[in-house]
Amino acid sequence: MSTHHANPLDHAEIRQGTVLRYIVAFIISALCMGAAMLAVQLKLPFLHYAALVVALTLIALLSQAALFFGLDISRAQIWKSVSLVLTVPLFIISVGLTVWAFSSLYERTMLPPSGVTQPGMSAPAVPGMGPMGAPSQPTLLQ
Amino acid sequence: MHVDLQGPWSPLLGRLTLGAIPYTNPILIGTFIFAATIALIVVGTVLYFRKLPYLWREWLTTVDHKKIGVMYILVGLVMLFRGFIDGVMMRTQQVLADGPHSAGYLGAAHGYLPPYHFDQVYSAHGTIMLIFAVTPILAGLGNIIVPLQIGARDMAFPYLNAVSLWLTVAGAALVMVSLFVGDFSNAAWVGLMPLAELPYNPGVGVDYWMWALQIASIGTTFNAINIIVTIVKMRAPGMGWFRLPVFTWTMLSTNIIGLTAFPVLTVALALLGADRYLGTHFFTAGLGGNFMLYIDLFWIWGHPEVYFLMLPAFGVFSEVIPTFSEKPLFGYITMVAATFAIAGIGWSVWAHHFFTMGLAPNSIAFFSAATMLVGIPTGVKAFNWLFTMYRGRLTITTPMLWSITGIVLLLVGGLTGMMLSAPAIDYTVHNSVFVVAHFHCMVLAISAGIFSAVVYWWPKVFGFKLDERNGLAFYWAFVIGSVLVFVPMFGLGLAGETRRLDYLYDPQWMPLLIAEEVGIGFYFLSVLFFLRMLYVSLRDRVPAKGDAWETGRTLEWMTHTPVPFYNFAVTPQVHSRDELAWRRANGLEEAKPDRYVPIHMPSNTGVPVIIGLLAAAFGFGLIWRIWWLSGVSLLAIMVLVIIRSFNKNEGYILTAAEIEAMENKIETASVIAEQPKRLPLSEVEAH
Ligand code: HEM
Ligand SMILES: [Cu+2]
Repeated sequence: MSTHHANPLDHAEIRQGTVLRYIVAFIISALCMGAAMLAVQLKLPFLHYAALVVALTLIALLSQAALFFGLDISRAQIWKSVSLVLTVPLFIISVGLTVWAFSSLYERTMLPPSGVTQPGMSAPAVPGMGPMGAPSQPTLLQ
Repeated sequence: MHVDLQGPWSPLLGRLTLGAIPYTNPILIGTFIFAATIALIVVGTVLYFRKLPYLWREWLTTVDHKKIGVMYILVGLVMLFRGFIDGVMMRTQQVLADGPHSAGYLGAAHGYLPPYHFDQVYSAHGTIMLIFAVTPILAGLGNIIVPLQIGARDMAFPYLNAVSLWLTVAGAALVMVSLFVGDFSNAAWVGLMPLAELPYNPGVGVDYWMWALQIASIGTTFNAINIIVTIVKMRAPGMGWFRLPVFTWTMLSTNIIGLTAFPVLTVALALLGADRYLGTHFFTAGLGGNFMLYIDLFWIWGHPEVYFLMLPAFGVFSEVIPTFSEKPLFGYITMVAATFAIAGIGWSVWAHHFFTMGLAPNSIAFFSAATMLVGIPTGVKAFNWLFTMYRGRLTITTPMLWSITGIVLLLVGGLTGMMLSAPAIDYTVHNSVFVVAHFHCMVLAISAGIFSAVVYWWPKVFGFKLDERNGLAFYWAFVIGSVLVFVPMFGLGLAGETRRLDYLYDPQWMPLLIAEEVGIGFYFLSVLFFLRMLYVSLRDRVPAKGDAWETGRTLEWMTHTPVPFYNFAVTPQVHSRDELAWRRANGLEEAKPDRYVPIHMPSNTGVPVIIGLLAAAFGFGLIWRIWWLSGVSLLAIMVLVIIRSFNKNEGYILTAAEIEAMENKIETASVIAEQPKRLPLSEVEAH
């Protein structure tokens, strides 16, 4: 009997990384992390900051998918690549619709930022994040 | 520790004290005696017949997809029974506790369950039924049937398959343990927030719920990966995509949902865990937390989850109805398209579970319209099944009855769902038992699919059919029970009964509550008939043919009955969509292979069951905050996984002669037959 079944490393699906690719991916990930830390400290305008975070996320994601996991469009890897790509619409649907629905939900159910404390709570509310449900606030179905 | 705990804590036992054992509660003592008796009988029987080695070698350590499937279904049936008893308790409480003059027993003000206990019962009922009964049973069916339908030898990852099973069992075990050690959650199956947070729920109940769900859903995610890869990679030669049986298609789409949706639940529960264990504030009402985010995350998983459960039942209907109509499925392509449309749309409708939370009108309109869209592919399916039956040669067997009933239930559930998806209606009946009746029609349709599948495929696995007479009695008792429980429930919901009540204020609801109680009585009867059906069938064991129903159409009916553990002696070549029907039409169904070739099989391993045990210990440690126990268990799991990864795991070879011998005496290869020890490859070569 041939024992080729027995050695997993004979399968292209399983042989994903090489030492070189691992090192490169590691360096890229570390750089992304460093850049992210800098971005936090630089106090950039919000839109720039957001764009930078998205860009760093994409670079980190791509380097990990391509270098760590060895995803590409070869016959052995195509299904994994396809399934990764197919999660993108789901991500957009779930995060996008949530952001959209919650942006108006906040206006309708949350207090405007102020120093109001909730009855029965010892800690004062964090500025910018009002606690819920003060009775005086007109909220639902206005 | 970063959070304030109520009550004592010690390094050795965490929060566990003698007070956690509810030895003063008569109901739980009765339950314990019942459970202990059954456990003693089972263990006693195994020991008396000296079956322990057999149990260990052939079942607990198995990697065979059929045995794993059977064990999944067995666990699911046990949990189904547990969830059913919870249902009986809730119905009985409500019928006893209606109106201010209703009497109180066993220390309760009304009825016999105090609110805290009642709340645990409904929380356990929902969690168990959805996650620990229906999910494992469907996973088991997929495990057994998918590889057979696509002509594969086993699942793509047999070892991972066993790990999935034992993780599910670990979760189920935690739920059961919560009966006798501590409490279960009282915050509903959805985890009502912020009620499930530590300040409002300082006991261990929510922790039981959370870790049981967390561990089991990791198992479910692994299983989803396994089924998807199996379908993509392991199809027999000739089995192109559009020759896949529809059950396999639905399993593919369902597990794509599973793989993509379950991680959202994992995240939601992990954040809740951070709140409860580390003192963060993701879902609290203050300090920047927002419990609406939990509701959002939960239902991003929760709605796809309901379709995760529904689609396999659609698959069952699509197999059973053509078989008993002696016609190919009407509209195969549209059926497949509808399956994926439902799965896809199912991802963008979740907010219909919280229309009343205060969403803006335009958001509500979007989610409402998206929800209504689901009706289109569902309608396509219903018509396809009807057109399959139209002018077919119908045989009304029990599987067929169950499938037809499932379609009717789907209709009632779907139409009431359409009502709920109109926000104006939902604002009036949200959180009433009308919603409960809606989704029970749906889950009953799933149950109908399950019973249909169990009766339909039983002979394939065990070699004999289930008794039709008792099966019919079971069916009728179940259907009458369903009508009596859920038709009144729609009425009560419209009359204003909100859900999850341990005390009902309106005595005028009494007649409908009594009807529901009678219905539960019929369910009870149906359980007895079910057991009798099993008993009679096991006693008589009338052998069934390979194609047990004689009108089967798909690949699984081409192997022997009972199916040998290697599935197909020779990997079949597929020529057509309904391969067996095609072979029958061409006079080839009796064709035998002219020679056998050796088969390479995976070896059994005890690692998965040990991982399951350790996972249960890990969860138990976290629940009671016995840190050393969790730490040691987690470390042990890691070490085991690493050790296992060094094992080359070559499997063993079945020789052609062995296969031929077993093919001629098929009982010796069935899933319940004991196999001789077969040496792994390397040892064979060393000899
Ligand atoms: C045509 C398809 C369906 C539509 C339009 C629909 C619509 C809805 C809506 C609008 C709700 C929210 C009601 C409320 O809480 O006020 C709901 C609840 C629910 N539905 Fe459906 N549904 C459909 C199919 C299903 C299926 C197939 C299942 C299960 C297999 C299901 C299970 C549930 C469950 C479990 C709940 C309540 C969850 C809870 O709050 O505990 N539904 N449905
Ligand atoms: Cu839903």
